[in-house]
Amino acid sequence: MEGIRKVFPGVVALDGVDFDLRAGEVHVLLGENGAGKSTLIKILSGVYRADGGRVLQNGRPVRVAGAEAAEKLGIAAIHQEFNLVPHLSIAENLFLGRQPRRYGLLDRKKMEADAAVLLQRVGVDAPPRTPVRELGIAGRQMVEIAKALSLRARVLIMDEPTAVLTAEEVNRLFAIVRKLRSEGVGIVFITHHLEEIPQIGDRVTVLRDGRSVGQVPASAPEDELVQQMVGRSIEQQYPRDTGRVTPSAQPLLRVTGLRRAGVFHDIHFEVRAGEVVGVAGLVGAGRTEVARAVFGADPYDAGTVEVLGKRLPGHNVSAALASGLGLVPEDRKGQGLVLGSSIQENLGLVTLRKATRGGLVDRAAQKRDAGRIAERMAVRMAGLDQHVGTLSGGNQQKVVIGKWLLAQSRVLILDEPTRGIDVGAKVEIYQLINELTASGHAVLMISSDLPEVLGMSDRVLVMSQGRIAGELTAREATQDAVMALAVGTSAHGANEMEDSPRGH
Amino acid sequence: MAIDTQPGHRLDKRPSGNGPPPVIRRLVLDNGALLALVAMVILMAVLSGNFFTTTNIVNVGVQASVTAILAYGVTFAIVSGGIDLSVGSVAAFSAVMLGWFTTNQGVPVFFGVILAILVGTACGLVNGLLIAYGKLPPFIATLAMLSAARGLAQVVSEGAPIALPDSLSWVGENLNDYIATPVLIMIAMGLIAGLVLMRTYSGRSMYAIGGNEEAARLSGIRVQRQKIIVYALVGAFAAVAGIVLASRLVSAQPNAAEGYELDAIAAVVIGGASLAGGVGKASGTLIGALILAVLRNGLNLLDVSAFWQQVVIGAVIALAVLLDTLRRRA
Amino acid sequence: MSMRKSTSAVVMATAVALTVTACGSDSDSGDGKENVKLGFAISALNQPFMIQMKEGAEAEAKAQGAKITVQDGQDDASTQANQMQNFTSQQVKGIIINPVDSDAAAPSVKAANNAKIPVIAADRSVNKEKVKATVASDNVEGGKMAAKAIAEQLGEKGKILQLRGQVSTSAARERNKGFTEGLKEYPNVKVVAKQPADFLRDKGLNVTQNVMQSHPDIDGVFAENDEMALGAIKALGGKAGKDVKIVGFDGTPDGFKAIKKGTMNVTIAQQPKELGKMSVRNAMRVVDGTDIQSQIKVPVKAVTKKNVDRFS
Repeated sequence: MEGIRKVFPGVVALDGVDFDLRAGEVHVLLGENGAGKSTLIKILSGVYRADGGRVLQNGRPVRVAGAEAAEKLGIAAIHQEFNLVPHLSIAENLFLGRQPRRYGLLDRKKMEADAAVLLQRVGVDAPPRTPVRELGIAGRQMVEIAKALSLRARVLIMDEPTAVLTAEEVNRLFAIVRKLRSEGVGIVFITHHLEEIPQIGDRVTVLRDGRSVGQVPASAPEDELVQQMVGRSIEQQYPRDTGRVTPSAQPLLRVTGLRRAGVFHDIHFEVRAGEVVGVAGLVGAGRTEVARAVFGADPYDAGTVEVLGKRLPGHNVSAALASGLGLVPEDRKGQGLVLGSSIQENLGLVTLRKATRGGLVDRAAQKRDAGRIAERMAVRMAGLDQHVGTLSGGNQQKVVIGKWLLAQSRVLILDEPTRGIDVGAKVEIYQLINELTASGHAVLMISSDLPEVLGMSDRVLVMSQGRIAGELTAREATQDAVMALAVGTSAHGANEMEDSPRGH
Repeated sequence: MAIDTQPGHRLDKRPSGNGPPPVIRRLVLDNGALLALVAMVILMAVLSGNFFTTTNIVNVGVQASVTAILAYGVTFAIVSGGIDLSVGSVAAFSAVMLGWFTTNQGVPVFFGVILAILVGTACGLVNGLLIAYGKLPPFIATLAMLSAARGLAQVVSEGAPIALPDSLSWVGENLNDYIATPVLIMIAMGLIAGLVLMRTYSGRSMYAIGGNEEAARLSGIRVQRQKIIVYALVGAFAAVAGIVLASRLVSAQPNAAEGYELDAIAAVVIGGASLAGGVGKASGTLIGALILAVLRNGLNLLDVSAFWQQVVIGAVIALAVLLDTLRRRA
Repeated sequence: MSMRKSTSAVVMATAVALTVTACGSDSDSGDGKENVKLGFAISALNQPFMIQMKEGAEAEAKAQGAKITVQDGQDDASTQANQMQNFTSQQVKGIIINPVDSDAAAPSVKAANNAKIPVIAADRSVNKEKVKATVASDNVEGGKMAAKAIAEQLGEKGKILQLRGQVSTSAARERNKGFTEGLKEYPNVKVVAKQPADFLRDKGLNVTQNVMQSHPDIDGVFAENDEMALGAIKALGGKAGKDVKIVGFDGTPDGFKAIKKGTMNVTIAQQPKELGKMSVRNAMRVVDGTDIQSQIKVPVKAVTKKNVDRFS
């Protein structure tokens, strides 16, 4: 791609970007949110048309005039939102729109046999008839990859494929990516996780503000990458002096014997004022489920949840909220925000009832409060009226956190608070966590980003198989210690790990 | 501090330029349907010399009133991500109950009106309970009510219109050459609907629930309770519409307002609401209802044939919404 | 789990509904004589006219010792088709149909004919399929009578508004046909506006209001049913019956009231009870094997203030 330019009303999204991809290489595309990565790959996969520049394949200019044209050129993209029909089987999803036919009828046998071969290539051992909705996120991603393979893709674009995966799943994904590379597929790989780059990448192109600012080998040190990405240096990624706080004696949140049959058991923990308690574990270990149960979003069978010594009724969000709990859910767009509403509306959602007098909402106060909090959190926006759906991921997350700050929640449960957020915004969120704990609040932080858990937590709870497998102090907590607990020492723990791919 | 945090850019100053004044620009941008209404009024005035007279404009207002009041209610349902198909039937049932209370049971008119509104609210409450706790999709719950309320109206009235006391007729009449009671009621109900949507806890909750039900729930909004309130409100508005309709005829008819739910939904959608929920305004709905009324009135004035009237109405609904979609995309 | 819950709820609801229906229909026991079962598929039970027709049919069936099941088609042609199918599969001895839509009824009637169940059409005809008889008010004749009546009221000179019913119904078509033919004899009576109001009172009111704007000098209104005429009266206020003559059709109780009050001048009264009776009587004759005429016209009558007391 040479000199690619794309203009949206009011914004130049891309301005003279050059990008090249060789067969059999993994080319990492790096940049902060809004740097133009998504636009670039959308042009490459035919979603957008470039306003300037050209795309060449094997030295010949080609036109990627639409998704179909991209398919013909052997370009396949795996987006963050999957293009799968949840209720159809894996096989049907793989061959959607081009199912093998015999005598005009669907040839289910051939379709499922072909699907099985593809699934084997990507290391998924689920039967092809399994409905996609029964697969986890990692499984769905593999189905997407298999679909790209079935289209004989020569160029595979992967947009933040690791953002939603656990460490174990990431390793599996990398194994597949390496295999594809050895088969001569060119792979465009987008990630926010700098530590993945030397593991998987060959070359890195850094985009900033719609321009390509540099191309470096994947072995370049992280500092250099960050510097190129943000145009400034970030001295410290995790701005917390962990384990130094002396938490108060009185726990803000105490959970005892919490259980939901088949999901989580014997959950005991405490969170004290001034603390950040990290919750690590594999996806499916029950972390999100516990968080939701504590917050009253889902029911539980036994156990108690106390805030400041007062017991909360189960499955009652209003009571949890009134007692000072707040939840920033893992699915920001699906559960955290009303995307079609304004920033002001979203910030005022939790405090809506408090701002109501005699049935009427004090909108002026709501606006004042929203303005104050947006400024404090440095939300980058055109105004409080801007629709929250048009903000970048990091700013969206600030809005979700902001609504709880407005409600003056004493204990904030953050579920994957920095997923899919660029480095700069991440650090801002970490600083916010620091400010909160410094002022006597407490944070329970679930994260699949292990360095983040280690870098930010005063204590780390490790969950495995629906139980708390162990608790580590900041000093004890190392990658190895956490992983050892997370993969489980119990007998059926090993079983569960068996869905990892076999044969390589 | 490890990083120099950029302060948020605040760009909320209006870009300078010599466009129309901000208020008018906003009004036009917010209500694409307003343009369609203005265009239609101009077109009708050009085509028929009888359109732009005081009496006729008052007529249009009166004829829009029932649809508008029904549609305000439907706006609540649609904004909260649901739908209410039962409003026409509930309006007829409430009106028939008004007739039954006042004419057959001798209840004083004032209390009869209150009771009729309560009947409508009760129907809405049943819808709400079925939706919130019975987990029925709003389409199905209100479809059932569409049939049930109509049936009840037939049962109570034994299929025949019930005459209303003459003391109610003022509700459906003109005060003088310029002001008609139905129009005043339409405006008053519009203000109430606007107040509910913009300023009340329930109203703001409707937008949140319609926009993202799970996010609303996790933010502490009692979603099920609010849904019940939504449909009860829709029922109350339907009852008021039924009372206005019956008062105009001084007769409560069990088969009145048949198919009006579709007009009401059309009015809401023309007014810029999204059937997906989370978007919609009382002012837009009023404009939608006025567009339909202007259209029907104009077609009568121009003596368009019966068959073509249906075609034209369908085309205008599609065009109005299309214009709005195009405007949004631009 | 929730799936199972909702399924059982549906089963429960169905069971309750069945019990209720069963209790409703099994209430009368045979009266010794051969109990002839008739089915009556009525277009809709939302108008006094239809209800009176139903009452007439039920009275006649009782007098003849027959059992009659009435189904309400709710003005929906496909609902009615289902009801006709049910009658056919229940093997009733005869079916009376009051079609929602004259064309759409044909397939159901054909199925009944194939099952050798005689069908009588009541009030509205069935197109393109044979029925044993059509019992109907003479709508064409009624239309002519309406033309004559309005011409006489106006002194054979004036401008009129015609409010049309649902144009898909044969009643609306035939009344319009008779009225148009009838008016030919009065060249000075002119229809200046002809607008649809769907047989509904509130639409009659709106349309009349609107037409009064473009034609404020109207001398008369002919409405194809009384409901629309009553709407027009509401729109005309004090002028109704005096400056603007009103002619309706059907002879409903509200219509008669308006005639007594002097706001409506003439209504062409049908005799819905008579229609119902004649339908059942002829159905019973077919069941007995007697030949009947294929067109049975129930007479209509012009009702004015002078003779209204004999009807209401």
